[in-house]
Amino acid sequence: MEFNGDVLTIDSSMSMKEILEFEAFIRPRLEYIEIIEISDEDALKCSALLSLLSSLKRTKSDLQIPFLDKRALSSPEYGTIHWICHD
Amino acid sequence: MTKQEQVKAIFIEEAGEIIEKLDIDIIRFEENSADLNLLNEIFRGVHTLKGNANAFGFTRLGEFVHHFEDVLDHYRSTKEGIEGDHLELFVGSVDVIKEVMVCELDAIEFLPQSYSECLEQIKNLIAMKKGLVPSAQLLSSEETVSDFADLASEFGFGCDEEFDNSVQSCVSRYQEMREEGLNLYKIDLMLENDCYKRGFDHLLFLKALGEKAESIESFFDMKDVWVLDGFKSDENAIKRVCIIVLTLLPRDDVDEIFEFLFDHEYKIQIIDAITKKVEPLHPQGTLHVEQKTPIKSSAPSAETTSSSIVSSKSTIRIDTFKLDELFDSVGELVIAQNFIAQNEKIGEIEDESISRTIETLSKITKRIQDRVMSLRMVAIKDTFEKMKRVVRDTSKKTGKEVHLIVQGEDTEIDKTMIDSLSDPLIHIIRNAIDHGLEADANERALGGKSSGGSVTLKAFHKSGSIVISVSDDGRGINKERVLQKAIERGVITGDENLTDSQIFSLIMQPGFSTAETISDLSGRGVGLDVVKTSIENLRGKIEIDSKVGEGTTFSMVLPLTLAIIDGMLVQATGEIYIIPTLSVVESFRPEKEIVHIVQGKGEFVSLRGQYIPIIRLSDVFELKSEPIQPWEGILVCVETESGRIAIMVDELIGRQQVVIKTLGKSLARLKEISGGAILGSGDIALILNVDELRPLNESVHV
Repeated sequence: MEFNGDVLTIDSSMSMKEILEFEAFIRPRLEYIEIIEISDEDALKCSALLSLLSSLKRTKSDLQIPFLDKRALSSPEYGTIHWICHD
Repeated sequence: MTKQEQVKAIFIEEAGEIIEKLDIDIIRFEENSADLNLLNEIFRGVHTLKGNANAFGFTRLGEFVHHFEDVLDHYRSTKEGIEGDHLELFVGSVDVIKEVMVCELDAIEFLPQSYSECLEQIKNLIAMKKGLVPSAQLLSSEETVSDFADLASEFGFGCDEEFDNSVQSCVSRYQEMREEGLNLYKIDLMLENDCYKRGFDHLLFLKALGEKAESIESFFDMKDVWVLDGFKSDENAIKRVCIIVLTLLPRDDVDEIFEFLFDHEYKIQIIDAITKKVEPLHPQGTLHVEQKTPIKSSAPSAETTSSSIVSSKSTIRIDTFKLDELFDSVGELVIAQNFIAQNEKIGEIEDESISRTIETLSKITKRIQDRVMSLRMVAIKDTFEKMKRVVRDTSKKTGKEVHLIVQGEDTEIDKTMIDSLSDPLIHIIRNAIDHGLEADANERALGGKSSGGSVTLKAFHKSGSIVISVSDDGRGINKERVLQKAIERGVITGDENLTDSQIFSLIMQPGFSTAETISDLSGRGVGLDVVKTSIENLRGKIEIDSKVGEGTTFSMVLPLTLAIIDGMLVQATGEIYIIPTLSVVESFRPEKEIVHIVQGKGEFVSLRGQYIPIIRLSDVFELKSEPIQPWEGILVCVETESGRIAIMVDELIGRQQVVIKTLGKSLARLKEISGGAILGSGDIALILNVDELRPLNESVHV
């Protein structure tokens, strides 16, 4: 996880433990973060990260998460994953 | 029992626990409706109940909790304050859930009227909160269901269209792609919110399917992902994932990938497709995805499947029957260990290592016994929590302001006893509020009391027993009135010299009631006698203490456990008997001068001004023995429900905890015996039921 100005960069390969740590980290700091970048998109390990990113976006609608905006992920392991956000 | 029946039995047990917890939480929430954590907790319980109910075909329960969940979800996400009326509706909803659960379990066709009434109110509330109807407007039940669905769709609440269209479009594409020999599956994953904790993740299933798939696409429905306030990363918020997979795998192999999920968490459909004959399949089983990303060739799915079964539970469920079996076995172990420790032949062996081994065995056996015993012990907290509801409801029905004070809720008690304690406690609490507390605030003010009455629920240890008491600060029991009523009803003659405790105990006689008005809560003359019987069945007793104008305390004195009794071992006429220590007052060798014979009444011992009847066990059990005089033996004075008696024995052996064994049918008719126990020596001792050693009408007090 890297902080550069208003941009937070995270790994998509986070384990559940790391996701919980990330959640605890970002909760009090959400208002200071403008963009969340994902460094290795196709290494997603846990669907909880997808949920957390969606929740962050739902909480702060002007937050930019380019990964989430793509609405799909193609991975050698999982095939194509689409997420329907209803927003 | 089939696997399905076993799963159903687990559901029923879990549902019971959820409902029990809901019952407690909803009252706590009523006390503090600003507690969002508690609201979330209630929501989660209702949500789990909904999933399970629908999975097992309990559709009526499923329907009700589905709408109740919607209401809770609204307040949870909006953090809107909850109006008093709506809180009342929530409490009523939990009642309905309890009733419907019973109907579902017993397959009762007709539901209580409260079901449709409460459901309609809930639906109206949802509609009102969504702004679909004005708050005052009531809809008929027929209108509410269908119109609400239509309106929801019109106003954009039905937002599954995008999801469904995406899935359908994918299915169509895959149908086109399908080649001979390939199977097309549509799999719906509806994982419970605890799936991560159970070691499952949507991606694990995608990976397992992907390894053998020609092509795979999935659609994650994110509509149930909440804003951060109601969100927890380790609870699954993706309630629906649809997987479309084109694979060589037969149905059984696909089933196997999901076999560790609950049945309601997944649905597999084989899609009929337009087949076209094309070139052979890709070698190496590579997977084609929409973006033509190459798929890694990886190890067989077994690894993935097994890695998904992560056991992280810190508790396990054990059938209480198995626990009882374990306890019996430990009982046998204790007996065998005692036999070794007390065996004369072994004792004669002068070998240090044998003595040490026997001593170690004794210590280990005691430790195992204590630990197994502790398995049965649970805190009384949950039972006390349930009583809050009883106090609340009784307070509302009687219109009396009541404060409940709870003390010692962490006191542990045998699980078997906990189950039997609820009804007596409910009855005593209702009685305390309905008849104990003054109805008139002025009456309380005259006595220098606050306008609201208080009921104190307390649990504590006392002399190796557990005492659970219910005290009120009401008007107290009028002793003279109880005596007068008892004489009128022929319970006593009026000649008796009864202690205060004995007078108060009269109110627990069958058919006895001093209440001037009979309410639907208490005062019908039935109840306290049932309470008394229930407590006695637990080998306990009830003591009543009361002061006029100050209040009344009902104390239930119970043994620590039902499986072991703390007993005094005595020998009489060559046999060993066990007297429950709980009832023993004192033992002594009487002087000849204090022993008297009353014509036609038998032998008595005069003790501190009280004449106590002497009971000879040889007479009770019709044993032949050389008669000895009372002053040649020892008298064990015990407290019984009809007063004190003195049991004459030859010798006091000692105090010991013994494992109770039930006697066979042939000895069950002997009401003077409540059970048996195997002693360390291998001898069998009978446990005396002291209350049956002398009937009530033989009591004589001077």
